[in-house]
Amino acid sequence: MARAPDSGQANSLVPVGISAIQYVLGSDEISLEELEARGMLDSPAATLSEFGFSSARLSRESSYTLAAAATSKLLGATGVDRTSIDALFYAGATPSCHAVVTSDPRSAFNYPVAQLQYELELTRATAFGVSQLGCLGLMASVMLARDFLLSNENASRALCVSADVLPAGCKREMMYNVISDGACAVLLEKKCGRNRILAYRQITKGYYWDAIARKNEITAAYFPTARNIVRDALADAGLDSSDISCILPHNVSLRSWEILLGLIQIGREKLFAENIAKMAHVIAADNWINLQAATETGKLCHGDKLLLFTFGFGANWACMVLEH
Amino acid sequence: MTHTVLITGATGMLGQALVPLFARRDDVEAIFALTHACEYSDSSCKVTPVRGDVISGPALGITPESMREILDRTSVIVHAAANTRFSASLNEARSVNLEGTKNVLAFASRCPRLKAFVALSTVHVAGKRTGIIYEEELDHTSGFVNSYEQSKYEAELLLRESMSALPISVLRLSTVLGSSTTGEVGQMAAIHHALRLYYNSLAPMIPGEPESLVDLIATEYAATAVEHFAVGHFHAGRTFHICGGENALTLARLLELTREAFLCYRPSWRKRAIEMPAIVDLPTFELFARSAEEVGDNILRNSVAIIKHFVPQLAYPKIFSDVECTCSLQAKGLPNPSVQEFYPQVVRWLVESEWGEIGTLAGGAGV
Repeated sequence: MARAPDSGQANSLVPVGISAIQYVLGSDEISLEELEARGMLDSPAATLSEFGFSSARLSRESSYTLAAAATSKLLGATGVDRTSIDALFYAGATPSCHAVVTSDPRSAFNYPVAQLQYELELTRATAFGVSQLGCLGLMASVMLARDFLLSNENASRALCVSADVLPAGCKREMMYNVISDGACAVLLEKKCGRNRILAYRQITKGYYWDAIARKNEITAAYFPTARNIVRDALADAGLDSSDISCILPHNVSLRSWEILLGLIQIGREKLFAENIAKMAHVIAADNWINLQAATETGKLCHGDKLLLFTFGFGANWACMVLEH
Repeated sequence: MTHTVLITGATGMLGQALVPLFARRDDVEAIFALTHACEYSDSSCKVTPVRGDVISGPALGITPESMREILDRTSVIVHAAANTRFSASLNEARSVNLEGTKNVLAFASRCPRLKAFVALSTVHVAGKRTGIIYEEELDHTSGFVNSYEQSKYEAELLLRESMSALPISVLRLSTVLGSSTTGEVGQMAAIHHALRLYYNSLAPMIPGEPESLVDLIATEYAATAVEHFAVGHFHAGRTFHICGGENALTLARLLELTREAFLCYRPSWRKRAIEMPAIVDLPTFELFARSAEEVGDNILRNSVAIIKHFVPQLAYPKIFSDVECTCSLQAKGLPNPSVQEFYPQVVRWLVESEWGEIGTLAGGAGV
């Protein structure tokens, strides 16, 4: 199993934590029934409702606009000095999120991460695009940002942002999940005790790279692989499932979470599922939106151990353990 | 003393193995191989194929021209015909397993020379019972995992009622996996299909405990044991477990052995990095199965359909005592081959023959 670089002792001595999160969602809230009427679902709305969904958020703006909005919101809310950001990671699940395309084919080299760095005056930030990880892009970015901070003595802050907007009229159901548009920005800081990263595991299984042709195999592989990666991440953190106070999920169907909870032996009451119905699956942003939402509702206490799990086409499974 | 044997289900997985064993015996002078198959052939001159069907009433669908001779000559009946499809409805299963047995019993009552009626059953008449299951036990109210178990249980009740009138012995077999020498599988059963699902990354989870026992036996052992108890060592009124007993593999070990065999006999399988199915509690498995049925496409639904009618049995851990059976067989020098040793050979045969679709292996002519 692939494992993220272990920073070993340095990690415990110089903690990296997540100090701020902000997000924006597509402005249009569309009910399942309306999505069904528009021909944007594969399964009946009633079935998806039973699976825990009620609506999706669709954006009329571009993914870049949402990314800029989420990042600006975070910078505004924290008041952090923009020149103190050492690195900017920009994640997107689809190729269209990684180019600001015009009619000139050469515009494929127009990258939104550079545009964002310029427009938001993150003048010292080294820019990275993180792609081809599907719904895992933001979690992988957070891990890459942590490693960037730990491996650069003079670096102290890194910003990660993911933004995904599906094309207009596109189907909004993928593998029995309802998909929303949105963007999320996550700020990591060195020597920050808040939401300290205790462990991270990621595994790629290339056999499932063709998500359409191997749809059934992915559905079947999803659960045992998820179970194993959660188990391994907990072991890396020196924890077991009973130590987890809260699971911050990716917003796939509640049904699939109920099945996975049975595999990882964690009670349903620990799953923060409040956003699944109304927000649906915001591609790479779910876990972080849920962390922010759980924090705002006062559900989390200092020292709580949090488990974040996600899966992305590609095919990647990832699990992160945080200490709140 | 010589015997004339009537075998029902002669073309079934075990029937195929039994006919040549009886034909080889000097004390068997003739074999009537009852089958509903259109074509049946056997090289032995002792074997007479008989068209018929156990569901066709007390005459078993045998023509009047053949009937008198079969009734007059039969001294041993081995009732092997069964509907072993776990997904069958209870009515379908009863039609063969219960009503069929009733018909064969009626037929047997008309055989003046009958000395032995051997009914093949399943250890899983124990249904959802847990713990140690002894050979003489039958009655319980624990329920059943599928219609096959229930219909065979009901057939055993009928057989026990008939023991006062006929010389009946019941042989309960566990899952017959394949040849212990060649690995060949005569007829694909649910377990073989389940292994294929794992191979193809379509088996996400199995209900049970890692220590749940999966009782598997080799075809040769099953056939030899049936032969032993049918001719020469028949015990009227007795029930025997032909199974692995205490030597059965745990579910966890079975999955490990399967993975090792896949990697060994199809090295390219490694690059798929397919996870072993997770062992989960029954409610979790049932929730997955229900979800797949609700929204999955045909492949996923069919995959779930293959396993959902039998793997829940693993959620009811039990061990089948085979003390009486092994005492009798070991006294005759008939050992039960180690499943740990023959299991990989069966998986090899499945992998290399692509589950029987591309012919047999060199030297793969099994029973």
